[in-house]
Amino acid sequence: MSVFLLQRLGQALVAIFGVMTLVFFIQRLTGDPTYLLVPETATQADIDALRRSLGLDQPLVVQYVNYLWDMLRLDFGTSYVQNVAVTEIIMSRLPYTLQLTGGALLVAFVIGLPVGLAMAIWRRYRATNLLMGVVLGAQSMPTFWSGILMIMVFGVWLRWLPPSGSGSFSHLIMPSIALGLLSMATYARIARSSILDEMSKDYIRSARARGVTTGRLVGKHLIRNSLIPVISISALEISQLLAGAVIVETVFAWPGLGQLTVQSVQARDFVVVQGIVLLGAFVTISVNLVADILYSVVDPRIRKGGRA
Amino acid sequence: MIRAFTHGIAAAVTLLSAPALMAQDFTVNLVNEPSTLDPHQQWNPDSYYVYRNIFDNIVTRDNAGKIIPQIATDWKQVSDTEMVLTIRDDVVFHDGEPLTAEDVAFSIQRITNPEFGSPQLGQFNQIIGAEPTGEYEVTLTTKGAYPVLLAQLVKLSVVPKHVVEAVGNEAFNAAPVGSGPFTFEGWKRGVDVTLSRNENYWGDTGPFETVSFVAVPDASTRVANLSAGTADLIVSIDSDFARQLETQSGIQVLTAPTERVAFMGMNTIRAPFDDPEVRKAATMAIDREGIVQGILAGGETVVHQMATPSHYGYVADAAAIPYDPEEAKRIVAETGAGNTPMQFATSPVYDQRIVQAIQQMLTEAGFDVEISMTDMSTYLQAARAPEQSERPYLSFGRWSCACQDVDGVQFPLLHSSSSWSRVNDADLDSLLEKGRTALDDETRMEAYSNVQQIVHDNAYILPLYQAVALYGASENLEWTPTANESLFLNRMNWSE
Repeated sequence: MSVFLLQRLGQALVAIFGVMTLVFFIQRLTGDPTYLLVPETATQADIDALRRSLGLDQPLVVQYVNYLWDMLRLDFGTSYVQNVAVTEIIMSRLPYTLQLTGGALLVAFVIGLPVGLAMAIWRRYRATNLLMGVVLGAQSMPTFWSGILMIMVFGVWLRWLPPSGSGSFSHLIMPSIALGLLSMATYARIARSSILDEMSKDYIRSARARGVTTGRLVGKHLIRNSLIPVISISALEISQLLAGAVIVETVFAWPGLGQLTVQSVQARDFVVVQGIVLLGAFVTISVNLVADILYSVVDPRIRKGGRA
Repeated sequence: MIRAFTHGIAAAVTLLSAPALMAQDFTVNLVNEPSTLDPHQQWNPDSYYVYRNIFDNIVTRDNAGKIIPQIATDWKQVSDTEMVLTIRDDVVFHDGEPLTAEDVAFSIQRITNPEFGSPQLGQFNQIIGAEPTGEYEVTLTTKGAYPVLLAQLVKLSVVPKHVVEAVGNEAFNAAPVGSGPFTFEGWKRGVDVTLSRNENYWGDTGPFETVSFVAVPDASTRVANLSAGTADLIVSIDSDFARQLETQSGIQVLTAPTERVAFMGMNTIRAPFDDPEVRKAATMAIDREGIVQGILAGGETVVHQMATPSHYGYVADAAAIPYDPEEAKRIVAETGAGNTPMQFATSPVYDQRIVQAIQQMLTEAGFDVEISMTDMSTYLQAARAPEQSERPYLSFGRWSCACQDVDGVQFPLLHSSSSWSRVNDADLDSLLEKGRTALDDETRMEAYSNVQQIVHDNAYILPLYQAVALYGASENLEWTPTANESLFLNRMNWSE
């Protein structure tokens, strides 16, 4: 067991190291950021001075070694543009991203699950197919369009909700819906097939034979048993939501990591971009690591090398 | 959000001399949050919109563009390279400490210190010394005679020496202390910066008690916020949004011609643009009025020199090469200039509608032009290549020196020593140098008039238009936006 753990841990470290190296070199491929950081009026001497103060005049190998050393000490650097520690910038945005992801998951769950259930139970009726059409339509609307539409209707015309920004629960509603619509259809589909699967099983048939009512059958047996695949898909959806958040956060001026990514890329603040990418990689890799370990706990074949 | 307090009779009695509306909360929507609030660090609109209200500059410009006192009440050129500033004696920083000559000298030394690495260094690198020579007197030394010095000091903010030295650069940026009409209250990263009125300010503070600058990256969201009343002033809208806002009641669009000059640059070192006739043909091929009226339509005006009326050194009756596509075609055919394939270097930052329009017009005249789109860094490396001949054949740009002096536009774009220039003309160089170093107005104006003549006769560069800044605002706001794209809150008024 411990050998397997160490193996997996080693692989995760190699993956993180790979991401770090890739990020470092890709950002250098896009050119020298000093040109982008100085105003037009800067002379060559100013450019050289700034390059020195950022350490970009050093040979690439030296920069790379310094970078790895900094990463080892968990020093993620200071933003070129803002002169603030990257960890501080990212930590100030992370709570907003978590709130939005949570809100979006909730929306996707609360709408997607009943739709999937309805489609499974009343699958013989044409109307339920229509329901799926509506759900897919909502998912297919580009966020920069549906988001603005919501802002116009609920923020400007009806004035029910603040058109953008953050600070209260009412600010969170529209961005969560805009982002949640993206995952809703996935949940509906997964829920539908998973419930159909369960419905064909013997225990359901015997329950029916015992005379259990449909309401009780669905509430007590079906939903609970078909939730497992729905929950495991959530892990995948979270990374989807984080990616989709870039546009939603920009449209709704929601100060999360997605907006920060766009701003940092536009401002060529490479140190911040690097920090965000590393955080993303770290989250993805650790989630996978945990999943791997959990699988191996559940299924002994995996920890014995997968030759079942 | 504006919450105008309706005063009761009691309040009205006690505040007989005060205006009817007192407490006001003003919200500005920026595109992004400020990069820094330390005024010696980042130089971009979202940053200086905010920090210019927290700090005082050494001098300032009035709404008409004239340089007037701010921290310095008087300035004397005592020799070709020395200027003596007299400092106000009644200015107090937000922490209660008085502002002295020490602080002014410290501020200049700080921003010009290469070790500090200010991105603004290029604007101040002619200054080589700043020493307090009296309690309220500072003497500045420049590399040579430098007539643009005062125009540069318009942007130099005074920071408190004792605070910066005590807390360090990073902490100062996080909680700036200035002497301006507004005091820093808080900065929620990514969300907003809030300021409150400095009741001890030596000058006007304007009508707002608290002001928040909110980051709203999407232009349609800024427009929605203004319509919904959650923003009172929004920046950076295009002419389409401006027309949409104009039709709404309670909302106004404010237009300010800026000091930004848009131009098409040609590499006059490389064939076929080494031939003045070919450059003239390229100039004649471009329908500048068409670009301004048909594409931009935000109130821009065509210019025929690398300057706007808001610049010192603007030539009032500059000669223009007229739009003449037929003549352009004739010259291109005659000289065979169309046989050389040329790249129009650009990057997504530039308005691609204009780049494409120019390419199309040049192609119609017979040139062989291909748009070469790269990321900004690659573009800048090509545009500033060490060898003049390696710089792009063609490019489109919008230039501002933020100093309202033609030296800041023409020297970098036309002098052969500049890393941007694609022109190599000894006469032009010496005129530009004369304009940069002569202290007397007449000599300078004459030099720039001659520069304009040479640039026109040789068609070295094609000036296109003077750019505008468009703002959306509540109808209650009374404000005259200026050419230097500042948001001075203490020059605004509010009426309901």
